Amino acid sequence: MKPFIFIIIMTTVISGTIIVMTTSHWLMVWVGFEMNLLAIIPILMKKYNPRAMEAATKYFLTQATASMILMMGIIINLLHSGQWTVSKDLNPMASIMMTTALAMKLGLAPFHFWVPEVTQGISMSSGLILLTWQKIAPLSILYQISSTINPSLLLTMSIMSVMIGGWGGLNQTQLRKIMAYSSIAHMGWMTAIMMYNPTMMILNLTIYIIMTLTTFMLFMYNSTTTTLSLSQTWNKTPLITSLILVLMMSLGGLPPLSGFTPKWMIIQELTKNEMIMMPTLLAMTALLNLYFYMRLTYSTALTMFPSNNSMKMKWRFECTKKMTFLPPLIVMSTMMLPLTPMLSILD
Amino acid sequence: MLKIIIPTAMLMPMMWLSKPNMIWINSTTYSLLISLVSLSYLNQPGDNSLNSSLLFFSDSLSAPLLVLTTWLLPLMLMASQSHLSKEILARKKLYITMLILLQLLLIMTFTATELIMFYILFEATLIPTLIIITRWGNQTERLNAGLYFLFYTLVGSLPLLVALLYIQNTMGTLNFLIIQYWAKPISTTWSNIFLWLACMMAFMVKMPLYGLHLWLPKAHVEAPIAGSMVLAAVLLKLGGYGMMRITILLNPTTSQMAYPFMMLSLWGMIMTSSICLRQTDLKSLIAYSSVSHMALVIVAVLIQTPWSYMGATALMIAHGLTSSMLFCLANSNYERVHSRTMILARGLQTILPLMAAWWLLASLANLALPPTINLVGELFVVVASFSWSNMTIILMGTNIIITALYSLYMLITTQRGKYTHHIKNINPSFTRENTLMTLHLLPLLLLSLNPKIVLGPIY
Repeated sequence: MKPFIFIIIMTTVISGTIIVMTTSHWLMVWVGFEMNLLAIIPILMKKYNPRAMEAATKYFLTQATASMILMMGIIINLLHSGQWTVSKDLNPMASIMMTTALAMKLGLAPFHFWVPEVTQGISMSSGLILLTWQKIAPLSILYQISSTINPSLLLTMSIMSVMIGGWGGLNQTQLRKIMAYSSIAHMGWMTAIMMYNPTMMILNLTIYIIMTLTTFMLFMYNSTTTTLSLSQTWNKTPLITSLILVLMMSLGGLPPLSGFTPKWMIIQELTKNEMIMMPTLLAMTALLNLYFYMRLTYSTALTMFPSNNSMKMKWRFECTKKMTFLPPLIVMSTMMLPLTPMLSILD
Repeated sequence: MLKIIIPTAMLMPMMWLSKPNMIWINSTTYSLLISLVSLSYLNQPGDNSLNSSLLFFSDSLSAPLLVLTTWLLPLMLMASQSHLSKEILARKKLYITMLILLQLLLIMTFTATELIMFYILFEATLIPTLIIITRWGNQTERLNAGLYFLFYTLVGSLPLLVALLYIQNTMGTLNFLIIQYWAKPISTTWSNIFLWLACMMAFMVKMPLYGLHLWLPKAHVEAPIAGSMVLAAVLLKLGGYGMMRITILLNPTTSQMAYPFMMLSLWGMIMTSSICLRQTDLKSLIAYSSVSHMALVIVAVLIQTPWSYMGATALMIAHGLTSSMLFCLANSNYERVHSRTMILARGLQTILPLMAAWWLLASLANLALPPTINLVGELFVVVASFSWSNMTIILMGTNIIITALYSLYMLITTQRGKYTHHIKNINPSFTRENTLMTLHLLPLLLLSLNPKIVLGPIY
């Protein structure tokens, strides 16, 4: 893609999300979402093949439907309150419609069916933008309306998401589908805490974005898309194998890595609000996620898959890929647990 | 406490920057020095604890376990030298790094005051152990073994996290120094029963309790020697230590909830001992004997009498040293014959007589011969459980007999009888191996002269 056109498109994507996050007029929220959607379609179709076009079409259809349902919710809110301001007192009917629409945009169950298929059809870097940047806008609207969301609706969706994210990823070998199911499960965790302490949702989002960014960059470093090709990493860059090991454990939420911080804080906030069975259920189902991350590390770092002799030479070559900011990202995705007391600045 | 933690953390850079022929020497020597420093913590005031800071403390229960942990690192390093000799330098250093990291996390676990910090470090010890078992084990089954180990422990310990956070909300703090004085009796409602279960299941899986012990034979057998040593000697004791700490918060529900677990332990003790009599695999036999001894510790902790707590602590230390020594002996066989089958390397007394002496002493310690602390522990636990219920003496007595049977079975099969013709040309015992056995056995024998160090806070 020519650089000039790429800059225009990325500017539109970024400004669309920023419009959604910062505006106080409900119509502008819808405008921001549409800008974001229309501009990201060419990014999804960077590789011009039928699979990418199918993925972009599916993404467009689901997101456009969700935008329309969001618009319906906005109009109902206008009807009942008489004004367009984004505020905390939302009509319950409008709140339900908006929650459903935003769940469709995020890929929460039962609206999660598009996430694996879209993520699989596009290139790694587009998948990265899809799973990290695109989550910011819907979650910011959910943050703003969090006090009026119907609890049973949101909690049902979040518990189902964590379960589906766990069980769905078990049979996958394609790395992009694995990351898609990981995204569904993490979205479930984020929306679970939305009603009690939305600040923890932002913490989870931040750490999730850092970890997913790092994971995608390590996968792009090796140009791998399947578990089988990832298993040859020990030939190319042995250091990356240990990093993938630590990163997968962090994604799975094992202490003492930073992926444990959001889970710990979310469980703490939920138990403070007298919910005991739900965090136990969420935590146990997250172990399914850990299982398929460990399967990745088994094939990558903990065993040495057979390879032919010409593959064994590859570590001698220098890497020419530009991996900007990778070392700080790795440190942030794995070693930030001791900084947990700093969370008091978020209040 | 920092005078132990920082040197242990600094062992890692020192080892990475050493010359290639000095990595073993440097790490073994300095870890022995650190264990010497940790001995000062055994000087405990009778009824209180030595509090270093708000984060770390050591009392008469954690000090012997701390000394055991620091004592074990040089022994693990000595035991691993042979099977790592053919690896490239970077992998040797990585292996030693895993051992040192595990040591660091274990030291912090045993001395943590805050129960959440204990939980985080308890889980953190899983990662280096998983890497040691799965990366450096020898057979294909090690992959399954690592998964079983990780997931059994995690499924047990996630409810513990929720329970600890709930207790923090009701009690205000989880600092052990405070809650030992603030703990109130809890009523026996259904939700408190679930709270009890959530708190205890993590440690039951770690001990392991008989029904949940499936990970242990896999993990012990497939791990390399250092992994087996640290698993048997220290990681199982994390479960016992955790149980003894957390039962303070759970009175008096324990006296009611303990029945199913007592039954499982008492029956499981005999079951696993009997399985030992039918084992062909040497490491598997020692692994099942670990389950059997730990079942005694579970019984002792659940009864909650002063004698049983003393017995549990003594038994944990004694079993740690004995089991680790047996694994080292099994490894010396494995390195010569490259098979764990017992009958393949039999009649070793005529070929390696000094090693036969160590086999004899280790087997005698395993079957709780007086005056070792193994006997002190078992005796205290048997007497305490007899006072809890008279009928347990039948099961305990049967267990002692079967323990003696399989220990002698192991001794006779490997040492006595005529040797096979294919082991005539094995290497003689190395000085390193004899040193290893001596360093295991000397603390065990010397502690029988002064067992009050290991008898815990109730003494």
